[in-house]
Amino acid sequence: MIAMFRAVLYTQWKWSRLIVMLGTVAAFAIPLLSLQGAARGDRGALQAQELLRSVQSWGTLYPLLAAALGLLIAITTWAPDHRGRHIHALTLPVPRWQYVLLRFSAGFVLLAAPIAAVLLGAALATATATLPPGLQSYPIALAFRFALAVFVAYAVFFAVSAGTARTAGIILGVIAALVLVQVIASIANLDLDLVSVTQSLLVLGPGPLAVFTGRWMLIDV
Amino acid sequence: MFRLLCLTVAALLLAGPVHCQDSLTARLQTRADSLLQSWREAQRLADVADSLERVRATAGFDTIAVGALRIIVNPSPLPVREAARRAWPMIDGLYGSASADLTEQPYIIRAVDPDSTVRRPVLHVGLEMPWDLSVRATAAVLVNTVPPPRFDPALATWLGTALRPLARPQDEQRAVFLQLVTAPSEAVRACFLGEITRCKDVLQLSDSSESLERWYVTPNEREALVIGFFSDYFARGATAPTLQQCRQHRDVACIALLKSLPSGSLPPPLAPVARLSLVREALRAGGRDAYTRLVANPSLPIGARVERAAGIGLDSVVTRWRSVLLAARPPRLTVPWWAGIAALGWTALFGLCAVRSSRWRL
Repeated sequence: MIAMFRAVLYTQWKWSRLIVMLGTVAAFAIPLLSLQGAARGDRGALQAQELLRSVQSWGTLYPLLAAALGLLIAITTWAPDHRGRHIHALTLPVPRWQYVLLRFSAGFVLLAAPIAAVLLGAALATATATLPPGLQSYPIALAFRFALAVFVAYAVFFAVSAGTARTAGIILGVIAALVLVQVIASIANLDLDLVSVTQSLLVLGPGPLAVFTGRWMLIDV
Repeated sequence: MFRLLCLTVAALLLAGPVHCQDSLTARLQTRADSLLQSWREAQRLADVADSLERVRATAGFDTIAVGALRIIVNPSPLPVREAARRAWPMIDGLYGSASADLTEQPYIIRAVDPDSTVRRPVLHVGLEMPWDLSVRATAAVLVNTVPPPRFDPALATWLGTALRPLARPQDEQRAVFLQLVTAPSEAVRACFLGEITRCKDVLQLSDSSESLERWYVTPNEREALVIGFFSDYFARGATAPTLQQCRQHRDVACIALLKSLPSGSLPPPLAPVARLSLVREALRAGGRDAYTRLVANPSLPIGARVERAAGIGLDSVVTRWRSVLLAARPPRLTVPWWAGIAALGWTALFGLCAVRSSRWRL
């Protein structure tokens, strides 16, 4: 089993190494860039607001990077299978669930690199910065949030990629039906806001995309 | 003889304008008196109109009394009494013994049908509220519109806003904490770090002279203030070259520009909410009669009034205020445990969906 996992991991690494490496570099660079200039201790009281504004602006890149990494790794994981019309998978002497599980786990291992890069970059950036009094750094919380977002994004896109064209069609059909009902409700002047309700279900509370929202701040009060 | 004639003519010539000036002053004085008289007349008429409007607006209305609150309201399903019961402890808690004065300033509320499109007569006094408001919302309206008793102009000018009860004072304290940390002023930062004199400066409790140097200590702050707030104001006319010099980091030019501002237009480094929170702390320290003492003598300096209200020294009030703010620091930025579990749960669920996918590509 371990040998099989190694083989799957190796092949997935070959297919997605460029994405993983670029993602790792970006993940390491964003925290450092967001605190650029913060090491200067001579900026006085003007610094705190500017620093928070800069950190907030750069903070929007973390969820985007997490989503992009999840999407690209999930796609590259399944791309060769899709290209070979899944014949290779059919010939393997392992059950389907085991094969999928191996691919899924290998993807997580590959995604550990960008997550570690965020943690290292954030720790390095905060260690070298001179923070104004009252502000605190949150490298571990940020890396943890990033890890969760990467995992969720990867799992969502992995599940979609693992499905058949029919599954993808069903998902798209449900989305289209929602939009259609909303349009009809708007035309009929009905008090029905499906888009907002769906958005709330997805993004708020324990929704699947809730981890992407919130405050992605490396520095905060 | 000729000289005498010349002197006489000169005296006559000089006397003309002086006489004219005298008569102009007298005319202006008469006009000012007349305007004052007209203003008083208008004031009297406005009072009469107000009184008549009040009578017209409250015709057929009931009076609800809860504590010292008097609410004149038309019969409707609006839960005024319950709302007043909820609002009264907050109002009484802030104004203390002075809240008894509120009996003289009744609310006038007209509850209206929220679904009706029938045109209503326009009233110029009181509030109009839809009668389907909840108890909580109605109580919030009562609290947010309560007239602060004996609120004098000096106190209003210093505070920059009216002093009213708050349902969640910790939100206000948190907002002030954020200001203390992020305000672009070394003085505010020093206050945050514990210099009580600086706190008094930025809260405008000290002597009002030399505010500029005490509020904005460093040249960078002054330059940022000019460029951030008054760039357009100084960009035209005689101040344009000085603005240019200020942009070139010449502190003398920045100071000159800021000192040329009309009195009272220099923005204080802390927003009114900071002074409000200080007064609330002083009232909390001073007990039930604190507000009465605060408004008792409007001619005193604000610092002395706050001190009297609190019943302790001004430094102690400010120290207490600072401690309360530090305790109100926003919670640390963490991912809640349930959010972590939810994210991992969704990851597992989507993984399960993938695992259960078919191997047959049909």
